[in-house]
Parts: sequence; structure tokens; C-alpha cells
Amino acid sequence: MSTGSNIMKEEAASYSGGGYWYTIKKHFKKSRSSKWSLRILIVLLFIALFSDFIANEKPLYCQIDGVTSFPVLKNYLVKTKLSKWPPQLLNMDWSNADYNKVIFAPIPYSATTMDMNNTGYISPFGKQDVKSKRFWHWLGTDKLGRDTLAGMIAGTRTAMLVGVIAMSIATIIGLFFGTIAGYFGDNKFKLTRAQLLMNIIALVFAIFFAFIARQYVLAEGNTLFELFKSLLIFVSVFILFNLLASILNFIPFLKKEVTIPIDILIMRLIEVMNSIPGLLFLLAMLAIIKHPSILYVMLFIGLLRWTGIARFVRAELLRIRNLKYIEATEAFGFKTMRIIVKHAIPNAITPVLITIAFGIASAILLEAFLSFLGIGVGPEEVTWGSMLSHARTNFSAWWLAIFPGIAIFITVTVFNLIGEGLTNAVKR
Amino acid sequence: MLTYLLKRILLFIPTLLIISLVAFAMSKATDDDPLIRLNPQANNMPSFRNDALYQKRAFQKTAQELNLNKPTFYFNFTAAAYPDTLYRILLKNDRSIAKKLISQYGNWNYITTYQHQLDRLVDKLFDLPDQVKRTTKNKIRNDILTTKVSYKDKRIQSFLSGLDSKIRQDSVLNQYLRNEMDAVATSYQNVKSKATPSKLWVPSFRWYGFDNQYHHWITSFLTGNFGISYVDGRPVTSKIKSALSWTLMFNLISIFLAYLISIPLGVVAAAKKNSTFDKTSTLITFLLFSLPSFWVATMLVMFFTTPEYGSWTNIFPSIGIGKNYGNQSSWEQFWDVAAHMILPLFCLTYSALAFISRQVRGGMLDIFQQDFIRTAKAKGVSEKKVVWKHAFRNSLFPIITMFAAVFPATLAGSVVIEIIFQIPGMGRLAFDAIMNEDWSVVFSVLMLAAILTIIGNLVADMLYALADPRVTFSSKN
Repeated sequence: MSTGSNIMKEEAASYSGGGYWYTIKKHFKKSRSSKWSLRILIVLLFIALFSDFIANEKPLYCQIDGVTSFPVLKNYLVKTKLSKWPPQLLNMDWSNADYNKVIFAPIPYSATTMDMNNTGYISPFGKQDVKSKRFWHWLGTDKLGRDTLAGMIAGTRTAMLVGVIAMSIATIIGLFFGTIAGYFGDNKFKLTRAQLLMNIIALVFAIFFAFIARQYVLAEGNTLFELFKSLLIFVSVFILFNLLASILNFIPFLKKEVTIPIDILIMRLIEVMNSIPGLLFLLAMLAIIKHPSILYVMLFIGLLRWTGIARFVRAELLRIRNLKYIEATEAFGFKTMRIIVKHAIPNAITPVLITIAFGIASAILLEAFLSFLGIGVGPEEVTWGSMLSHARTNFSAWWLAIFPGIAIFITVTVFNLIGEGLTNAVKR
Repeated sequence: MLTYLLKRILLFIPTLLIISLVAFAMSKATDDDPLIRLNPQANNMPSFRNDALYQKRAFQKTAQELNLNKPTFYFNFTAAAYPDTLYRILLKNDRSIAKKLISQYGNWNYITTYQHQLDRLVDKLFDLPDQVKRTTKNKIRNDILTTKVSYKDKRIQSFLSGLDSKIRQDSVLNQYLRNEMDAVATSYQNVKSKATPSKLWVPSFRWYGFDNQYHHWITSFLTGNFGISYVDGRPVTSKIKSALSWTLMFNLISIFLAYLISIPLGVVAAAKKNSTFDKTSTLITFLLFSLPSFWVATMLVMFFTTPEYGSWTNIFPSIGIGKNYGNQSSWEQFWDVAAHMILPLFCLTYSALAFISRQVRGGMLDIFQQDFIRTAKAKGVSEKKVVWKHAFRNSLFPIITMFAAVFPATLAGSVVIEIIFQIPGMGRLAFDAIMNEDWSVVFSVLMLAAILTIIGNLVADMLYALADPRVTFSSKN
């Protein structure tokens, strides 16, 4: 195929929207491995989404003394403080209650349920003290009597969440920096003197009012919520100062434009980020957090892993910005923001998807390793990595090593395969 | 080329600056206080005034040695409510309590008076006559000290009123401590009634100059003095030296092995595209690529280094690097270490191997499609010659540059392996230091790891230029 028709294809794609995607999809589905990996991914997502209904110590449906309830669903309401447990159900021993009618989840244990009768690493083939086959621990238990299979189900949710959220953060940052660097290059990013000045001042004030002045509430209150508030303050300070700049633009001296070599700046930033020993940094950061939670793990992975995405977006936009249709939109007098968001980014997204797929795989792997070391996860959280770490303290518990490991392996492979499939689909 | 090299070396500066700043900030953000860590007697409660004075001097001496009595950084950007002399409070905990009180009330002069009154109350306890029981004394001292580390109003109020009533109940206590106790109570009321929270929203910038903790730290780091470990007081340099040699040896051997195996694997797979060999090797390398090395390492340790699953699986020596008995010959020692190295090296090598061989195969396939290969084949050049002489030479280029990706990845991977197999390398050292909050070690290791990563990238770029003279590095992209 000649380059001419290639360009035409791309131009056509950008206008019709569906065409380019359609070809990518078609090529992607041609490969058997990508098709299967997509299917497994759907199963994994299903398990992650409905993990509470698959493994739960509370019954899905039950009738006690003539009162019907749906404890699993009810638990969601209680957690979100929309409802309360009735007093007779508050401290219920769900597995030993007297039910008139009951339907348990397929695995009648939650990940954190401690089966007191089966503590101390019970093998799947060993002697288990259970009421019936229905309560059998199919993949054994750990030291505290927690069911391995239930842990694996809960771990699926954690792994998927970590992969998706961490990479969403990374994508937002990477897309932002990559787009700016690629679209504006070194000589198209212009600010008036007023804007430059005001933004520098805004940065100082935003840091002060969002973080320094609020350090007490940030440390004492609900950290994540307060952090969100701080971010809002941060953004609003910038908006305020930019409004101020648009007024100052009426002064002729301040109206003069300054060109900022944004591409060089961002590329240098990426190079610096890539020289940071990420794993050690992550370990150190997570070690000093007082109340470890999986949320910080996601946040930090996202903050560390955006450079690959930024690089790809930049390269794509460097190519796209010289295409005829972007010139056309500029000739129409569209706003820069609209051109970037509506016309440039959609055509740069496929290579980003590849990076995201591989990124999710490595984020899941990283989280598993961190919780394997016991860093970054709360003591209540059950993840594949934390289950695997129990095998390290008791060498005879082979089931705690093999099953979570296989789960990690399958998930990572699936995402890697999807990344591969996309790469091949784009190449063609 | 030279200008390019210079440019890259200049890039060292911002990178190391950022890493040093973040590592330094992290060390300041922890609760752990090196002053208390290095003065183990600090937790003993002094029973005489002289003991208290001695303790204070010990803190001062350590702070002097570690430059902890200096401002933290070149400048300080914070609210006007905070005094610019806060760094003079030596103990981290005291400082953070002071900060928390300021961030609630914003009136430092009243807060400092209140804290001084508390100190005077503690000091006055030494004057109590012997008829007062030791346990009562200790109880009161404990109460005062807990008040001192509280910053929430409710807590302070309840402790103060409790103390007040305790002192009131005992006539001797009342006689000795009444004045001081009242002074504490009034000074605390002053803190609350004369609060100036508006000062918390006024930004203020202070310049401290070069005589600060960060400056001393970074300059001594750059001159090769890494300080002493907070845990055992040993110089960090000696700790790092042996760790670095282990890690470098370990990584270089593994990368060498990975290249040695993967290049023929990838080339042959590409040459015999779609053959059974190609298909199996592609599948295997893909699976290896996705196989988490910490899982494989754990499994290997579980099944092959312990007699847990029958003696026949206990093939390899247990984790660690072997023991040095002293009476071994160096040959025996070598074999001992080598035996311990097999499993960790395998774990470290296989993922690099999978990555490289896949890349080699891909690169070779691209080249096989080019015209000059077809020409060579048409000329009647033997298959072997086409593959190795024409195609492979031309695909060397990406293989070499891959070093830039492989080296940092192996370094990171070796952290995992070192921790699981207990190899005393940089990764293990860093992990232990992070866990023990031994920040002088963490700081140095992070900086060195960054330097190693940059050097790895630099070496790859230089090789790039050597392999292809067309590369000039003058273009920006």
C-alpha cells in the first residue's frame, strides 16, 4: 500500500470515526490468542465485579424466624450508611445460624472469615472439620483458617482495581503531558507575559493554600477526602489567577507573547522520571505511610508509570499534527482545545491502548509483589500477593503458593496477550 | 558525540537533585527520630536532675554530629504563624507537637510559654522531698509527659484537670507544685483564648542560607562520605561497597547469560519462521515473560531447598549465599557460593531472556523482509550465511540498544530476587534499610541506583553510536 492511500485512509478514518476502529477490531479478533484473552478477561472482570456474591460468609438469601432478608445486598447498604443491621442480625454467626430457608453464595466464606475449626494450614486433601461438603475448603486454608478460594476471589477484585485505577491515573497524566509536548512542540506553545507571570505566582499560592496551610487537616482528618479538597483548592487557585491574567492582558507590555519550549521540558522530565529506581522508591514511599491502604499503592504506581504513555502520545501527535485534516481544522478557526480533544487525541489512542494493556499487567504484578512483602496493604486486605507470602512462612502449604500464583500468572498473561494482539492489529 | 555525552551527563544533575530532594523529604516525613535511635538511654526516665541534663547534652551532641540542629533546607515556605526557629527544637516528636499546636491556634509565643511551664513542672519534681513515694512521683511525671505529647484540646484539658486534682489531694505535692501547676493551666488558657488563626493563612518565605541539613548531606554525599547507619552506627560506605559488588556481579552475569542464550534462540526462531521450533519457543518465551519472578522464586525455594516434599526434591542448598567457615579453601568457597547462586540466577535470567529473545526474533523478521536479503538468497548465498552474516549483523543494532531497557529492569528484578533468596546485595540492603527506617542508607542506595540506571542508559547510547556510525546525536528526536 502506498503512503498516499495510507494518509487517505487515516484522513477518512478521522472523519468517519468508526472506520479505523473497525479495522483494528477486525485484525485484533483475527488472532485466536487475543480472542481467548479477551474472553478470560471478561470472566475475570465478572468475578471482580460480583466477588461479593461468589464468595461470602453471609447468605445471598435467608429466612430466619419468618423474616426474609438478603444479607449480601443489605451489607452494601450498611457499608454506604444507607441502612443498619437489625439488632438480631448485628453480631450474627452466619454459618451456624438456624435458618428456615437459606441460599449461600457458591463459596460460603468471605476472604476474611476465620474458620475456627480449620485453622493452621489445612490442605485441600487433608482432614477438614466441616459440617458438610457444601462448606468444604476446596483450596485449603491458611494459618488463621481463612479459605484460600474465597481469598482468590477477593484478590481478583483487588488486582483488577489496582490495574485499572493505577493505569487510569497514569493515562490521565501521560495523555496530558504527551499531548502538550506532541501538539505544541517547541515553538507553538505561547503564553503572554501576564499569563506566564500569573501561573508562576499561582503555583506558589496553590501549593501554599492547598497543602501547606492545610497540613493539619490533611494529617488529622480523613486523608483521602481532605486530599481531594486540597486538589480542588489547587485547581481553583489556578483558575483564579488565569482570570486575573486575562484582565492583565489589556496592558500592552504584559500582552507580549513568550514561546515556551514545552516539548524539551516534558521530554527532560520523562528522562528524569525514567532514571528513578521505581521499585525502591515505591517501597520507601509506602513504608512511611502510617495507615497503609491499597489506594496509595494505586496512586503511587499511577504517578510513576505515566512516562511510557506520554511518550507514545507525543510521538503520535507529532505525526498527526502535520496531517492535512488538522491543518483544515485550524483553517476553520477551531479552538486549540477542541482540535486537540476532538480531532487529535482520538487518532492517537490506539498505541496508548497497547501501553495501557502492558501497564495494567505490570501494575498488577507490582501490587502483588508489594503485598507479598507486606508493604502497602492494610492488615485486613486479602490479596493474591499477601496469600502467597503466607507460603513463605510455612513451606508445607503448597496450595497457598500455587493457586494465588497461577491467578497472578493468568491475569498478567491475559493483559500481555491483549497488548500483543493490539500491537499486531495496529501494525497491519 | 562529545557534546551529546556532555549533555547527558548534565542531565545527571536534575535527576539526582530530584531524587535527593524526594529521599530527603521522605526521611523528614517519618516519625522515626535518629536522635532517639542513636541514644538508646533516651527512653529511661531520668530520676535526678543531673540525669536529665546529661540526656539533654547527649541529644545535643548527636544532633551536632548529624547536623540535626540546623535548618532543614535552604529556605522555608510556610505560614507566618510558624516561627523561623522551629528547627531548634531537637526532638522530632516535640517539634511535631509544637507544629500541631501552632496549626490549631497560630500563636507561637503563647504555645512556647505553655510548653516551658510544662517543662518547669517536670523539673520541679526533682525538688520533691523523699517522703513522696517514688511511684507517685513517676505517675505524675508520666501524666505531665503525656500532656506534653498531646495536641488535641480535649485530651490536654482532661490530663490537666486530672493532674490538678491529683496534686490538690496530696498536701506535700500541693505545697511544692501548686504554683507551677497553676502557671501551666493559665498558660494553656492563654493559648486558647489568644489564638490568632488568621496568621495560618498568611504565606511567609524565609531564607536560611547554606548552613542547613540538606546542604551538608548532599555535599558530603558528593564527596563520597555517605554518613553512618542509624541502626548500628556503621559507616554506610562499607555497607554499600560489599552490597554493590554482589548486585553488580549478579546482574552482569545474568544479563550475559540472557544474551548468550536468547540471541541464538531468537535468530533460529526467526530463520525458521512458523516451524515447530519457532512456535514452541515463541510460546515458551511468552509464558516466561508473563511469569512473575517472585512467584517462581518462592516456589523454587519451597520445593527445591527444603526437605518438606521428600528428600529427593531437596536438591539445592538453602537460601543465602553460603557460610564462610574459614577453614575452606577458596576453591571450596567458590563452589559453595556458586551452588547458592544457581536458583537466584535462574530467576533473574529467565525474564530478561524471554524479553530479549522475543525482541531478537521480531527484529530479525523485519530484516528478512528486506530486499538485500532476497538479493543475497537469489545470489545463492548459503542459508547459514544469509542468516548470520547478512541478517544478524543488521539486527545487532536494536539488540544492543535493548541493554538500556534490560539493565534497569534486571536491577529492579534483582531487588525481588535478593529479598527472597537473602542475597546481601543492594536490593536487600535497601529493603532492610527501608523497613528499619535507616534513612542514611536508603538515601545513598536510592541515589546510587539512580546513577546506575543513568549510566546504563548512557552505555546503551554509546554502544548505539559504535554500532551505527550514522548516529550523530545531533538531531533532537
